Amino acid sequence: MKLPPNVSAADFTAALTQFARIVGDPWLFTADEDLELYRDSYSILWGEADERTASAAVAPDNADQVVELVKVANRYRIPVYPISTGKNLGYGGAAPALAGSVVFDLKRMNRIVEIDERHGYVVVEPGVSYFDLYQHIQDQGLKLWIDVPSPGWGSVLGNALDGGVGVTLAPYRNHFEAQCGIEVVLPNGRMVRTGMGALPGAKTWQQFKPGFGPRIDGLFKQSNYGVVTKMGLWLMPAPENFATGVVTVPKFHDVIALVDIIGRLEQSKIVQGLWNLSSPTTGTPAFAAHESGPPKPLDSAIAAILNDPGGVDMNKLDAAAQSRTLPFWQCDFNFYGPERLIKAQWDCVCDALGAIPGAKFKLGEIRSLPLSPQEQAKTRDLGPFGIPTLKTFDLGPMFSYGGEDVVGHIFFSPVIPRTGEAVIEAMDVFAAIGRKYKLPGPPLQFPSTIFERAFLFAVGLPVTRSATVNAKLRDIIRELVAVSAERGWGEYRTAPAFYDLIMGTYSYNDHALRELLETIKDAVDPNGIMSPGRYAIRPRHLRDANG
Amino acid sequence: MVTRRTAIGTGLAFASLACAAGCGAYGQGVRERRAAQSIDALLIDESIEMPPHMSLFIEASRWALPVIAVRLDAPGQAGLKRLLDKSQALVGISCGATLFCLERIAWDYGFRLTGRSQRSASEPGDAAYRKEVTAWLGGAPAPAAGSSSVARPYRPSRRDGLLHSWVMHRASPRLGQGRGDVSA
Repeated sequence: MKLPPNVSAADFTAALTQFARIVGDPWLFTADEDLELYRDSYSILWGEADERTASAAVAPDNADQVVELVKVANRYRIPVYPISTGKNLGYGGAAPALAGSVVFDLKRMNRIVEIDERHGYVVVEPGVSYFDLYQHIQDQGLKLWIDVPSPGWGSVLGNALDGGVGVTLAPYRNHFEAQCGIEVVLPNGRMVRTGMGALPGAKTWQQFKPGFGPRIDGLFKQSNYGVVTKMGLWLMPAPENFATGVVTVPKFHDVIALVDIIGRLEQSKIVQGLWNLSSPTTGTPAFAAHESGPPKPLDSAIAAILNDPGGVDMNKLDAAAQSRTLPFWQCDFNFYGPERLIKAQWDCVCDALGAIPGAKFKLGEIRSLPLSPQEQAKTRDLGPFGIPTLKTFDLGPMFSYGGEDVVGHIFFSPVIPRTGEAVIEAMDVFAAIGRKYKLPGPPLQFPSTIFERAFLFAVGLPVTRSATVNAKLRDIIRELVAVSAERGWGEYRTAPAFYDLIMGTYSYNDHALRELLETIKDAVDPNGIMSPGRYAIRPRHLRDANG
Repeated sequence: MVTRRTAIGTGLAFASLACAAGCGAYGQGVRERRAAQSIDALLIDESIEMPPHMSLFIEASRWALPVIAVRLDAPGQAGLKRLLDKSQALVGISCGATLFCLERIAWDYGFRLTGRSQRSASEPGDAAYRKEVTAWLGGAPAPAAGSSSVARPYRPSRRDGLLHSWVMHRASPRLGQGRGDVSA
């Protein structure tokens, strides 16, 4: 029997016995073959001494059982680690942040507690997946959309707590920002509702985010201050139509004006749909880090410039593109809503970006929604239509790295300024590291526009089952993090193996942020039982441990 | 209600395939084993094009048990979950990416991967491979969970040219049993 750290066999056995009494014997898992399922399939520490594996798992059916489980964990000082569906592969999956923790598997808590078409919200338990919620909306014929991450098998609630993102309209894409009202079991077993939910019989829990007093919902994002058992989320009214408008601009440095102008359109709420940056010259698709399949064939001269071992000479590339009348940049804007709104937004985009010499514009077909099953089958990416898929698992060319089979991937996810200058700098910096270590992927990658006021520059790295290769990959990530931090770029999310590394970069005023988070931790979780080490927040007795 | 011959989602019936010489022999072999086995369905990966020799085998298998084309998209999820809810043992032929997803979805229904083999999809008429799948369809004893052949990692890829055949058995309670009700 694997024991949690600092827990005796007798205490652990007593705690497990009481866990089983609360949830029923079938829902306590201690066998090796069951615990195998609580490993992170994409762990970059797979099979190594530092891999974070569970000592047991317990699956409650409701929030009352969670309360009782937490009380038992406190009594015996058992570290616990709640998961929703545990499918956040690469960001930890179902594995705990601290080896030896007992996983609270909340998949059985999969009730859609309330869904309100009139006010556009849903209240879910942790086990509700995007597929579940999508199907429920279809079955009920509700005129609501969900904003789905890729892949769509994860928990709606869990994805929001992890800081997950989607690809529809700006107010819904940042999933934690779309939440409105949380029910959480604190480490002492006390249940709390945030916002208006603190008012018994509240009629506006999912309608008014601020509530009364400090807004504390954010304390439960990427943290370890409780077990969130319910969450309200604002949903998007099903739009009438969808269209994509394509804008191209000819020169590499046009990206500076391009980003500035689009930024103004976004800040004015004229552009609210996602826009994707790609390059007809380099053949790099938008979301290159998530893309699959062989690269498109390129002009041989352009390919030679791109694959120069010494680096891509952007002046040469720019000249080659212009001599072939290939635009350097392409922006695909997604529009939603009534036809006349789409046309009006498009007119605004054309007027504004028309200031860039050589810009060209083409509005695609305005497609009536919802898509028919036949249209869905023909559509490569259903994310912009709020339809969950598992297409992200088509890993394409990531077959091997360092002579080892690639079994997964991990993301390095820095947030960079929303300027063309930052795009150019980040492309240069990350391409150099990609070349240095022969990382899979196109020679040049571009940022994602998912966030409203900053870019996300996700770089996908392979994961293998070789400790040697994975150690090298961890070194590469350390280098990427250091290089980014030097430039003022920080990660918004990371795999458990890098929690401490990333938190270490948020070091303003001698790590004042981490100190505050630890002060809160000590106050709400004095025994340090709740997800110790998650996002590098440790209880007092584990401050010097590595997780 | 999913019956043993119900396909998942829409358009799930596997494309009708010409049954060339040899097909009947496979079918006969599968029929003979049917009485002794407890496999609920043969799952076929709709996201990849099956090599001709496997298509023949699959077509022949229809005589013996439900052949279900698996789609991992939203329309396919509900039917897949109903199938997992009702079944005890499933065999399948798929690419690594589909197996990777299916395996993890099936975990929540208490299933464990108990046998797996892989071959190059381009190997024409690989008799050993067909024999292996036929044996699983016929209820051959599955290797113990965690045995080296199962535990060996596979690439979760759709494009690496490998075809996986596998068998899963239910081994524990169903964590992911659908509830999804509105209970305000």
